[in-house]
Amino acid sequence: MGDPARTVRVPIVERVLEANDDIAAATRAELARRGIFSIDLIGAPGSGKTALLEATLRRLAGRRRPAVLVGDLATRRDGDRLARWCERVVQISTGEGCHLEAGQVRDALRGVDLEGVDLLFIENVGNLICPVGFDLGQTVKVGLFSLTEGDDKAAKHPYLVTAADLILLNKIDLAPYLTFDRAGFEADVRLLNPTVPIIDVSATTGAGFDAWLGWLERVAA
Amino acid sequence: MRLVHEFSIAEALAAQVVSYAPAGARLRGVEIRVGALRGLDSEALQMAWEAVTFGTSMAGAVLEVDQRPWSITCSDCGREWTSPVPFVDCSCGNQAPSPVGGDELDLLAVTIDEEQT
Repeated sequence: MGDPARTVRVPIVERVLEANDDIAAATRAELARRGIFSIDLIGAPGSGKTALLEATLRRLAGRRRPAVLVGDLATRRDGDRLARWCERVVQISTGEGCHLEAGQVRDALRGVDLEGVDLLFIENVGNLICPVGFDLGQTVKVGLFSLTEGDDKAAKHPYLVTAADLILLNKIDLAPYLTFDRAGFEADVRLLNPTVPIIDVSATTGAGFDAWLGWLERVAA
Repeated sequence: MRLVHEFSIAEALAAQVVSYAPAGARLRGVEIRVGALRGLDSEALQMAWEAVTFGTSMAGAVLEVDQRPWSITCSDCGREWTSPVPFVDCSCGNQAPSPVGGDELDLLAVTIDEEQT
């Protein structure tokens, strides 16, 4: 028989997502070495992430060499839609996972010929909460909101608003039919993030795409 | 979705903590600190932790969550205070004081029972 157990408190102080963050840092370094600017696109289900990327890829054709990683719970539909506009599309099926993690992005990138690629879009799983805390190694995070979700979504998702380098407000063409308080939405964003640009867009009509692509060309020159 | 969120954090935590409990030692407690921005629900985190550690050597270890509040500053009267929610009115009447939250998610300590030698 051993002596009675002794209870010890061991102080640690270490990030819980350290393993994820380490992989993300390696990805970030690799993408930087290749001169690839990467965008983590985060938005709710139905906010228009895939539609936005379709319209964006169509306009970038011949001007940039993009690659796309698209996270989805189960289907390949998003990947198939995007493959019409971009040769380098990899679908990441997350199963039950509600967000992408750095390891999935690293593994997916191994399946892409990155030679000559200068832009990488990562369409995260449709979710405004979980993806924000997981660094993927991206250069910027873009938060996509849309008019149909309601004007309170920025206030209800402060982490995304705070972490975003750009906020896109999609479906602006539907403004005449909805009671979306545009000024209230912006006021909520401003309280949380005083400097983030907000660009109104419509993936359907192309409204605001000059501003969105102009921003992209500036940051990803 | 909410619980799934806490689940993935609990899974990462369990993977991290297991290395701090040497063979023969029993994990009794885990302390973490969570910034307001993380939007993690303490109760959901407890449930997720219990589910993730069920049937493992970590089962029964108590998860202690130090949930950090929002720091609120009123630009009108200069008052500063903390709040569990980001959007609150100031007592001076200002309906839009500035919320600032941290995004820390740190493992602070583990408590283990070890055999005395």
